[in-house]
Amino acid sequence: MQKKGKPIIKLDSISKKYNEYGVEVNALTNVSLNVFKGEFVSIIGPSGCGKSTLLHCMGLLDRPTSGRVYIGGKDTSKISGKEIALFRGEQLGFVFQNYNLIPRLTVLENVILPGLIMEKDPKALEKKAKILLKEVGIIHRADHKGIHLSGGEQQRVAIARALINEPVLILADEPTGALDSDSSKEIMELLVKMNKKRNVTSVYVSHDIEIACFAKRMIILKDGKIAEDAKGKQNDFKQALRRFSKISGG
Amino acid sequence: MGVSSRLAIGELKDHKRIYIIIIIVIALTMTSFMLENAYLNYMMQVVDDTTKLVTSDAIIVDEISTLRDLYGTTVELKNAGEIGRRIERDLPGYKTSVRVTAQGTYGLGMAGEAVDACTIQGINPKKDSYISGIAGKIVKGRFFRDDDPILRGHTPLYIEIKGPGNLPDFTWGSGEKLFEDEEPYPIIAGVAAAKTHPSVDVGKTLTITLSVSGRDTNYASVDVKIIGLYESGTPLLDAVMWFMHADSLREIKRYGEVSGKDFNVPGIGTFKGYNPITIDSDRGDVVIVKAIEPLHKLDPIGHSESVKQTVKEQVPFLTVYSWHDFLIYVAGSMQDVVTIMLWGSIAVTLVLCAAAIKYVMDSIILRKTREIGSLKAFGARDRVIFKIFLYQGLIIGFIAGLLGIIISLVVMNLVNWYGFSVEFIAGTQLKVGFIVNWLTLLIAILLPIILAVLAAAIPAKKASMLSPVEALRKGELAL
Repeated sequence: MQKKGKPIIKLDSISKKYNEYGVEVNALTNVSLNVFKGEFVSIIGPSGCGKSTLLHCMGLLDRPTSGRVYIGGKDTSKISGKEIALFRGEQLGFVFQNYNLIPRLTVLENVILPGLIMEKDPKALEKKAKILLKEVGIIHRADHKGIHLSGGEQQRVAIARALINEPVLILADEPTGALDSDSSKEIMELLVKMNKKRNVTSVYVSHDIEIACFAKRMIILKDGKIAEDAKGKQNDFKQALRRFSKISGG
Repeated sequence: MGVSSRLAIGELKDHKRIYIIIIIVIALTMTSFMLENAYLNYMMQVVDDTTKLVTSDAIIVDEISTLRDLYGTTVELKNAGEIGRRIERDLPGYKTSVRVTAQGTYGLGMAGEAVDACTIQGINPKKDSYISGIAGKIVKGRFFRDDDPILRGHTPLYIEIKGPGNLPDFTWGSGEKLFEDEEPYPIIAGVAAAKTHPSVDVGKTLTITLSVSGRDTNYASVDVKIIGLYESGTPLLDAVMWFMHADSLREIKRYGEVSGKDFNVPGIGTFKGYNPITIDSDRGDVVIVKAIEPLHKLDPIGHSESVKQTVKEQVPFLTVYSWHDFLIYVAGSMQDVVTIMLWGSIAVTLVLCAAAIKYVMDSIILRKTREIGSLKAFGARDRVIFKIFLYQGLIIGFIAGLLGIIISLVVMNLVNWYGFSVEFIAGTQLKVGFIVNWLTLLIAILLPIILAVLAAAIPAKKASMLSPVEALRKGELAL
């Protein structure tokens, strides 16, 4: 694992409360976490433990009720809604469970879309998108509509799309949640490859232990709190999971 | 092309069926607007051309006269010329002309022809031609010339008869020179009168009995020669309104210095003089006023009322009628009502179209919530999302407006090419025509754009205000 100076992302005691039908729900409670450049982090935990909320807070899609989120050393609680959008577009890349490709656009158009939103030069974007599509192994389908691709292919496109603005951090919410096991493995291998090749920091959420074990660091969440923060290889993660199971009585 | 417009076009393509229906409905509404408005413009132009022959922009009469008096009964302004000159001096750009009026009856004693009435407008050919545009409406024969026998050079024989008992006094003018042949007065009649009366045509002479003093029952029988036929566009007025030289009517109405002795014939009455009248050109019945042309004709009624007010300030003790007063007098408020009805029906249709656009976009946004969430995750600011939906409204409005204009222009050309006309009064035909002015075109293109943009703005704002996480979550639930 590489640790270079300041963390890419730093969560300083963040909490998130929801009000659902008049009942206050604590989705996250005093979560503090540092993610450094080049890390490949998985967040795992039982359903409703706050995995996605944590990812949304890291991705500035949602603001914590309390605590602060620092990205690249910048306190994001102090930036306006407009700037947050810009910050998100420039610094972060997102991969969703259901790929979220725009069906009427071609693969190539889908990939360059975040770049166009950031008002970058379309020609340069197209060139870069083709390189990325080649890297994710889907260049042969560049002119096809996203809707005509298989789940695995769509997720490859989504990964290329997440990389188009050269973000400092990729956030993936259940990236294999809608895929079969073979495709899931391929996608995770692709994410690992991108992490190694491009040294892009990645954080992903999964409820699947096998998928979570592709990471170099595993955060186990329980009831909105970090129960385990394991680093190393698969064996280390399995030990952490066993400890977690004992604590949680699972 | 920006990302918002790219995505807006994509959205339109995605939902082309429903949007085509909306575009067609708006386009047809605008076609209806264009056709009705262009026809109304045409009718207004016809009415304008016609009624302005009588009033121009405003007309000044004495303090007791009503609009009915403009048709020729006794109204008189002894200092009409002075009033006109004062208005021209004090209101730069305004032009005036003094008119003399009378009512006439012709066809008496003509075999196979009905007795008919006309109102004679005595005009100053040079000034009035500019103000009312009458010279440009001659379609057969000619307008007045300087060498026309405008004056007969004598006082027509008038006999004043004292009414017996409680009957009014009665004046009869023979209209004939006693001792030698004479030229008849030149007169211009309307085409519609010529169509219904064989004796009314260029070059023909006929006798008209003129009521020159409606309140005092004074009459004169005069010979007139038709030198030209005019056509204003409204057959009804063409049939009844004839034009003489104002000085001819001044002579007939004895507006000037009358010399000569009175000859009393016991039991009959008094013969009044045989010497020529010295015409007093300042005397007249009404003064018509042409105002400065407005920069636009967005509000012809408002302009008309404003001109009336301006003129009234110059002649506070006299009565001023506007062109619009006269229009209401001859046609009622029908035109105004038709205009209001037209706008009302168009407004209802457009509001329905706006509601349709809003609800279609609302449903699209509901289905595209996840997409909106994704765009926000990719860094799209609220205004980018807002513009995606606003541009759709803009494009829908523009296409609908343009299509409406194209369809209506095609229909208008077809109607013009075919030459439609409708039955009008006294067997005359009224041509169906259209006048498309820049204002109509501007409204036809801008109205649907404004409407569609406004209709799209509400859902666009709603979409732009969605929080990214809510949009993504709702989108997942919608799957």
